[in-house]
Amino acid sequence: MTAQEIALFLLTSCRHLNFFESYMFGSTLNGIGNDIDILIVGDHGERLSNLKIEIGLAGENLPLDVLYMDHSEAIETNFIKNENCVMLSMLADGEYPPKSHE
Amino acid sequence: MNWQVKYALENLNRDIGKLFKAEYIESDVIKVTTKGQPEVFAHISACHEITLTIVKGYTEQFPNLDFVCGYRSNCIWNGDAIDFLRSRGVGWGNSGTLSSAIRNGDANIAEHKTWAFSSRLIHQYGIVKNAIREFDRIFMVELKSGREVRIGMIADYEPTADSVRSLVEQFGSVDIAWNINPNGQPTASSIQAGKELGCEVLKTDDLKSHMQSL
Repeated sequence: MTAQEIALFLLTSCRHLNFFESYMFGSTLNGIGNDIDILIVGDHGERLSNLKIEIGLAGENLPLDVLYMDHSEAIETNFIKNENCVMLSMLADGEYPPKSHE
Repeated sequence: MNWQVKYALENLNRDIGKLFKAEYIESDVIKVTTKGQPEVFAHISACHEITLTIVKGYTEQFPNLDFVCGYRSNCIWNGDAIDFLRSRGVGWGNSGTLSSAIRNGDANIAEHKTWAFSSRLIHQYGIVKNAIREFDRIFMVELKSGREVRIGMIADYEPTADSVRSLVEQFGSVDIAWNINPNGQPTASSIQAGKELGCEVLKTDDLKSHMQSL
């Protein structure tokens, strides 16, 4: 599956993703790699528990590696910038990689 | 062919394809042929948790097995399954461990790269009398002082509060959540989550001194 296909699949399969920021990072963005690295940013609680169940089901046949952070941790670690994370919604919409404008 | 075998073959042939050849054999078993080295037979498992019963089944089904690969990144290995494989001369670990083992020609003795260094380190501390591996990442350690300490290892680059909560949810309470990744630092939220759950979140540098203080 391409990064776009994976993003579309996850956004369609996991409705609780609507309550979180979700990103892909790592080598899967370039179509390679053993794992599909996903970052979820949001609050701890029931919605996160439900999302984990949905991701567990969606990842039954995919090598997902999911990292969960709250907002303060995302800021503290600067993970989104440092790891060049790309929003799943951008990937699903075909906005990554960005098209060059001449 | 199951999904994890397909992924494993694609990645192995891409990563190491110039020197090796990985091919499907049967069930979830692949064969990796390397010039000048014995063939490696590996079972590529999609199990979420690898138990003693499962690995016994794998080795009965395919007695020449060299390596069992838990393909899921969050795959959990039970301690007795690890002991069984080691006693049978079968390596164990994730896909990265398998790739390295093929390159190094040591598939039969390879162990999960993520946990290998830290699990050896526990046994090397002079203050440790005995250490029982309950799971790949959980050790019950008996210190020479007589105190028992349950240690859970977290391999994340940036251990988060969720890493700590998930460790306790999955494996039960621990006294120490040990961040074994030498890079990065536990977040403030992860340290707070540890306090709420009654455990210390420590880096390797602080582990020994903490145990000495117990």
